[in-house]
Amino acid sequence: MYKNKKTSITGIIITIVILIIIVIISNIKIQDVAYIENALGVVIMPIQNGLTYLKNWISGNNSFFSNINTLQEENEALKKKNIELEQSLRELEIIKSENDTLREYVNLTDKYSEYKTLPAYVIQRDISNYSDIIIINIGSKEGIEVNMPVISEQGLVGHIISVTDHTAKVQTIIDTASTISCTISSSRDKMVARGTLQQNSTLKATFIPTEATILEGDSVETSGIGGIYPKGIHIGTISQIINTKNITDRYAIIQTAVDFNKLETMLVIVGNNESNQGEGT
Amino acid sequence: MRKAVAILILILTFFITYLLQVNFFSWFTIASIKPNLFIILTLFVSLFAGTKVGIPYGIIIGLFCDLLLGKTIGINAVMLGIIAFVAGYLDKNFSKESRITIMLMVMGVTCFFELGSYIMQIIELSILIEPLPFLITLLIEIFYNAILTIILYPIIQKIGQYLEETFKEPKILTTYY
Repeated sequence: MYKNKKTSITGIIITIVILIIIVIISNIKIQDVAYIENALGVVIMPIQNGLTYLKNWISGNNSFFSNINTLQEENEALKKKNIELEQSLRELEIIKSENDTLREYVNLTDKYSEYKTLPAYVIQRDISNYSDIIIINIGSKEGIEVNMPVISEQGLVGHIISVTDHTAKVQTIIDTASTISCTISSSRDKMVARGTLQQNSTLKATFIPTEATILEGDSVETSGIGGIYPKGIHIGTISQIINTKNITDRYAIIQTAVDFNKLETMLVIVGNNESNQGEGT
Repeated sequence: MRKAVAILILILTFFITYLLQVNFFSWFTIASIKPNLFIILTLFVSLFAGTKVGIPYGIIIGLFCDLLLGKTIGINAVMLGIIAFVAGYLDKNFSKESRITIMLMVMGVTCFFELGSYIMQIIELSILIEPLPFLITLLIEIFYNAILTIILYPIIQKIGQYLEETFKEPKILTTYY
């Protein structure tokens, strides 16, 4: 079928390159382009330094050649020192990473001390663009059961929808099929938050009472109604209120406290330490 | 023996596709949108090996995905089974030798699969109906799948020819006699 095999391979290579460029550009964040600034700095700064030196030399401040031998020796010593420090830094980074994970677990356990919890981490994410299910590394053998709530240091993650011996499937709160009864922390007004197809960790809050005073920045937590999530777990903050002609149809966008793209560690609530807690479970 | 090798190829291809989809394409995304390699895989198996192999293959890998990552069992299985069936119709009416035709087929079945899955989710799980975000996600996914088809086409064609020789009976083009 191909007229020219070489042309075909070139075409595929060009397509791969274009795909990589599209992926990179589409996922770029403004803060991530700081390296362009750095790269420009690398090109421009030596020229700038040279010009400054020239200006100083003309002004009679030339001391560049006076200590050139000493500077070269110092430079060599500093290079060696730099290599040693880089090695130490790498070792420290590994230790820091381990420490961070352990600290996260400890902080989480302290924060939710009223609940009996089990630590877990994400082993697989959803393959679909239209749902948000994650798989965690603990299952029924570790005491996990269906409908147990899952939390992280920032707030509510979701609940268990199925378990195997050593894994469990978690339906996150941003999944399109997820519905949570929640309360505005300040006014105690109740509403219903649902997952959306938006890719940026947001929920759509509906059934807002007509008399409710709702403001952007209000904190939202679980209401305890529904039988799955305990009362008072932080969900997120209201980022936008959309008013409609009919006040009963107004809705709000909740920015979840948890960044689901970066979510790695979490806790599964397996029970209560205090009998008066978690009326919703 | 030839059939056993072909079946082994089908199983291996599924596992490679699964690993790529779960690991590589979970971060190699276009605006956070992932492609769906299972749609491409099912379409090609059904196009080259025929619907007798394609339909059960689509249903099995769909069930596998449903069991591993789905909220309900059946949506992926049903939709991939239907895609394999549609591929049989496409095979009869269009040439799979043309890259453009294949690309259009992939775009069409991606649209069909995601639309069908979305409608089934609306019915089964009562999810929110969000036409605009769905359309944006779908268009990006279709575009991504089309690009991957261009890249993967030579490999697919080679494996496809082997499957075709193994599973399909030779066609007799009566109009030429």
